[in-house]
Amino acid sequence: MMDVGRHPKINLLAYSEIEEITGYIGNFHVKVRKKARYVDEKACTACDECVKVCPVVMPDEHQLGLSTRKAIYMPFAQAVPASYLINMEDCLGNNPIACDKCAEVCDPKCIDFDQQDEFVEFDVGVAIVATGMYVCDPTILDEYRYTKYENVITSWEFEILTGPGYVTKGELLRPTDRKPPKNIAFIQCVGSRSEKRGNPYCSNICCMNTVKDTLFLKEHHPEIDCSVFYMDIRSFGKGYEELYKRSKAVGVKYIRGIPGDIVEDPKTKNLIVTVENTTTGKIEKHEFEMVVLSIGVIPRPETEQIQRALTLSKAPCGFLMETHYQLDPIDSPTGGVFLAGCCESPKDIKSSVIQASGAASRAETLLTTGKVKVEAITSTIIPDMCKACGICADACPYGSITVDRKAKTPAVVVEAACKGCGTCGAECRFDAIEMKHFTDRQIMAMIDAMFEEKPEEKICIFACNWCSYGGADLAGLSRMQYPPNGRIIRTMCSGRVDEKFIWHAFKKGAPVVLVSGCHFADCHYINANRWTQKRIEGMWNKLERKGIRPKRLQLEWISAAEAVKWTKVMHAVEDLRKTVTKEEIEETKKILSDKKKG
Amino acid sequence: MAEEVTFKCLRCGYEFKGTYDRKVPEERECPKCGSNSIRPLPKKKEK
Repeated sequence: MMDVGRHPKINLLAYSEIEEITGYIGNFHVKVRKKARYVDEKACTACDECVKVCPVVMPDEHQLGLSTRKAIYMPFAQAVPASYLINMEDCLGNNPIACDKCAEVCDPKCIDFDQQDEFVEFDVGVAIVATGMYVCDPTILDEYRYTKYENVITSWEFEILTGPGYVTKGELLRPTDRKPPKNIAFIQCVGSRSEKRGNPYCSNICCMNTVKDTLFLKEHHPEIDCSVFYMDIRSFGKGYEELYKRSKAVGVKYIRGIPGDIVEDPKTKNLIVTVENTTTGKIEKHEFEMVVLSIGVIPRPETEQIQRALTLSKAPCGFLMETHYQLDPIDSPTGGVFLAGCCESPKDIKSSVIQASGAASRAETLLTTGKVKVEAITSTIIPDMCKACGICADACPYGSITVDRKAKTPAVVVEAACKGCGTCGAECRFDAIEMKHFTDRQIMAMIDAMFEEKPEEKICIFACNWCSYGGADLAGLSRMQYPPNGRIIRTMCSGRVDEKFIWHAFKKGAPVVLVSGCHFADCHYINANRWTQKRIEGMWNKLERKGIRPKRLQLEWISAAEAVKWTKVMHAVEDLRKTVTKEEIEETKKILSDKKKG
Repeated sequence: MAEEVTFKCLRCGYEFKGTYDRKVPEERECPKCGSNSIRPLPKKKEK
């Protein structure tokens, strides 16, 4: 942090919040609120005189309330810039000045009660999101009685209690009697790997954090007896398995089983832990003086604001989505935005450093090149047809379309930001958008060709390029057998499948139409397939109103790895096709060609 | 706003209840056959 703070080419905006980000790759405009510190950070020498005289004592949020701070304080010892700030809600010296003691003792005269929030605006070419993570709430697992028993603490609190910045200067004391504990239990996976309570994912860092904590304890207090309750220890990184073995070698007991209950002895305040030891298959009771809950991690709540501003997508676990989890783990789906660290997934320091270095490198490459390759498949507005309704701008997952609804001027597509999903084209009611290489004319021609002969035997399938088409491909490569009468029209995204394509297929005699795309979490165009679902739901209602069976229009989410699902779906739609008679097809054609009904 | 609706699987015909918010689309799956063709049935208008 010190290096960052001192670097001549890095402008560090500490104690600030992003208010707004607009624009696209190479042309982002950022508005930042620089919160008032009420201390001139350049003049402040961090002499500590102001803190000494401040009469206000408040719980220190950075230390989770385990220690105190003054109204004028430095958030933490290593803060950059090394300057104090005043929390005005706590301060007595503001309007009317009742205290003013800090200003009196400040030699460089850097206290300024009139300071206001400042807005800083600037342009950047690329953005790196590194919003970090937070810890999950341990109270969701009430069997550990975190809020009831003082001697049950979290791993974060353990870190503070044993840190040099704490009042005990790193000496671990039991909260109830302020004596060093004789034994400690660590419980793993609190809030992680649980479908019902907490989060289903593995938090990645807790196992090694506990191994590190037990080694720390054994090094400084060899007399403390340490036990770890776990499902399985995930020591996945270089040197981690050795660390785990070292922890066992110094006498840390590893008990395979997650405790189901903790009860406190009211006299001794010791904690009785009940656990099913899955190695022995027996229910055991253990007594400890302290219990540490190894809590999992969650994305920082503030990430959501950045996510919305930069049109990023979020995985079901709440972490930001990368373009591809294996092949493109640094890029976000929005051009010119890169991800680093735990905003993307829980990870240890080493992995965060690797990803951050990668993100910096990707950003630098882009900035030094000064040019970006625009997708070949982008949308184009036909100005004469555009009514400036703005639905395309609402539908665009990348915010690449701008439209002035009041001025009624035709919409404008920023080609550098357009990724070519085609959702805008499908949503446009005036046919004012043309998708390069996937034009309406091209797709209609494919439908026409599909139903030239024996339409009653064919199944019309729209499959997205990235997932469903890949699933079909894998089914073929794996030699899986499925009915051969499906005819696939590939679109880049299922969001491109316009209502009129489906109507046209039914008009041409399609017994069944299947629209298939990526699973919601896998959408390659942030959230374009949500529009597909919305559209298809609307079409089911329209079909019913017209007297056409809605089930003849099927919707499926199939990933590139789901060849088995593809095969299963193909058999199901073929079974459905067999129920559609020639008479029903003719009736549908009649309904749709009837101008009043169709 | 989320409302309680009946969903119908357009593959197997299975009906089940759940919450539906048009503004917050969710990936749905039939609990019986696993199909994603899940239609939120429109509420019948009271006469």
